[in-house]
Amino acid sequence: MTDLILKIEKLHKSFGEKVILNDFNINITRNTSQVIIGGSGTGKSVLLKCILGLIEPEQGIISYNNTPLNRDTRKEINFYDEIGMLFQGAALFDSLTVWENITFAIKSKRKSDLREIALDKIHKVGLDSTVLDLYPSELSGGMQKRVALARAIAKDPQLLFFDEPTTGLDPIMADVINNLINEIIDQVGATAITITHDMESAKKIADKISMLYKGSIIWSGDPGEIECSNNPYVDQFINGRSEGPIKINIKD
Amino acid sequence: MINYIYNIPLAIGSNVINLFAHIGKISIFFYEIIFCTFTLPLYFKTFFNQVIKIGYNSLPVIGLTAFFTGSVLALQIYVGSSRFNAESIVASIVALGITRELGPVIAGLMLAGRVSASISAEIATMKVTEQLDALTTLSTNPIRYLVVPRVLAALLTLPILVLIADIIGIMGGFVVGTQSLGFIEQSYIKNTFDIIQLNDVISGLIKAAVFGFIVAFMGCYHGYNSTGGAQGVGRSTTKAVVSASILILASNYILTSLVFNS
Ligand SMILES: Nc1ncnc2c1ncn2[C@@H]1O[C@H](COP(=O)(O)OP(=O)(O)O)[C@@H](O)[C@H]1O
Ligand SMILES: [Mg+2]
Repeated sequence: MTDLILKIEKLHKSFGEKVILNDFNINITRNTSQVIIGGSGTGKSVLLKCILGLIEPEQGIISYNNTPLNRDTRKEINFYDEIGMLFQGAALFDSLTVWENITFAIKSKRKSDLREIALDKIHKVGLDSTVLDLYPSELSGGMQKRVALARAIAKDPQLLFFDEPTTGLDPIMADVINNLINEIIDQVGATAITITHDMESAKKIADKISMLYKGSIIWSGDPGEIECSNNPYVDQFINGRSEGPIKINIKD
Repeated sequence: MINYIYNIPLAIGSNVINLFAHIGKISIFFYEIIFCTFTLPLYFKTFFNQVIKIGYNSLPVIGLTAFFTGSVLALQIYVGSSRFNAESIVASIVALGITRELGPVIAGLMLAGRVSASISAEIATMKVTEQLDALTTLSTNPIRYLVVPRVLAALLTLPILVLIADIIGIMGGFVVGTQSLGFIEQSYIKNTFDIIQLNDVISGLIKAAVFGFIVAFMGCYHGYNSTGGAQGVGRSTTKAVVSASILILASNYILTSLVFNS
């Protein structure tokens, strides 16, 4: 029995004339770390937002544990209680303190219990109790990302989404985040879907890498195989060359 | 030249389509607010914060504008009525004008400037920084969490603000009337209370509730539908203030002519 947590079939999404996802398919096995790579503007964030129900795709089926997802079924199965999402720009709530942000989705608990949970999660992401009562605007970019990570794991989710977790961070902080992601997947036994264009990070955290180009997956494999994929698109992307089959449209 | 001729029906057509799309979007937004208002959970803490922000913090602005409006109204009516030797009417017209018309409209317009703008800027910024999306992924309906408390707070606090504005506005007229126009204090007060009926005040307060709804609704709607980054935040703020102001004046006319015309 293959244990699929997420299955996406024939997903289509366009904005006006612009086709973003075109016949996109992927299967994601439970307790693996799936990384999807692709250039800027290829629709990686749009893909995550389709899965999360933040953008309505025109066509296609997204199944979570064999349940096809739509507005109603997401509610029925309490989809949002089982997932965690780390947004590209952290997306912390400005008007709430760090501990309120982290425990935002946890309902009906006493304040002291909530602070206890926040403290536990903030330790997990390598910060200490001194930040709990600060506001997001008082934190550096790297700290905001870590708080956002703590918020994403606050409910011990089954399925985690990371949208460019290392973008905009210095290499050391990026590595800290990579290690955190690995630890969380190992400790919690969760499944992770990460989208990134940072190849260092991809190789470090992935069990499986897929490349998104022109709206669908053009290559999938283990991190070890990617260097010798014999795929000209993948080669160009991982070696960061401007010459090759991927044409950058300056006007885009 | 030919191009222009083709462009005219094209422009009309696309504008008509846009208009219908807009009406559709507003209706859906409206429906979602109503649905979330009458189902649980209600976020009391946010609601209470908004009552402070929208209501309490608007007191100085609304008090000042009401005072000056009442004062200038007394001056102008004095000028007009003295041409008919009917100066004694000043107190009555100030009282009616403030409670039926100017109290709610001035307070509504001030709130449109102060509150529509800040609501729409806040929500638009949350949209740009993906905080609205984050709410959804944290099992929280953004309309329930952000929009409903603001709409309810504005709808319930503007009538209270208007009641205060009515009192201060009439006092403004009283101060000018007795200090510079030479009215006797007792008779000014008597003229005021003789003319005012409960209906006048209540019609103003019902208008105020409608204006409060418009102010918060427009702020939320334009913030929620903002696109295009920081510039978009600015654009949505402008749209919120302009559309709230126009809707207040238009609905004021409609309410006055259809409901409160006696
Ligand atoms: N809400 C939207 N409306 C219109 N176009 C959008 C919207 N969201 C994303 N796009 C477009 O979709 C494309 C892919 O965006 P995105 O998924 O954010 O790229 P990335 O792979 O860098 O995450 C971009 O060209 C962007 O302009
Ligand atoms: Mg992106």
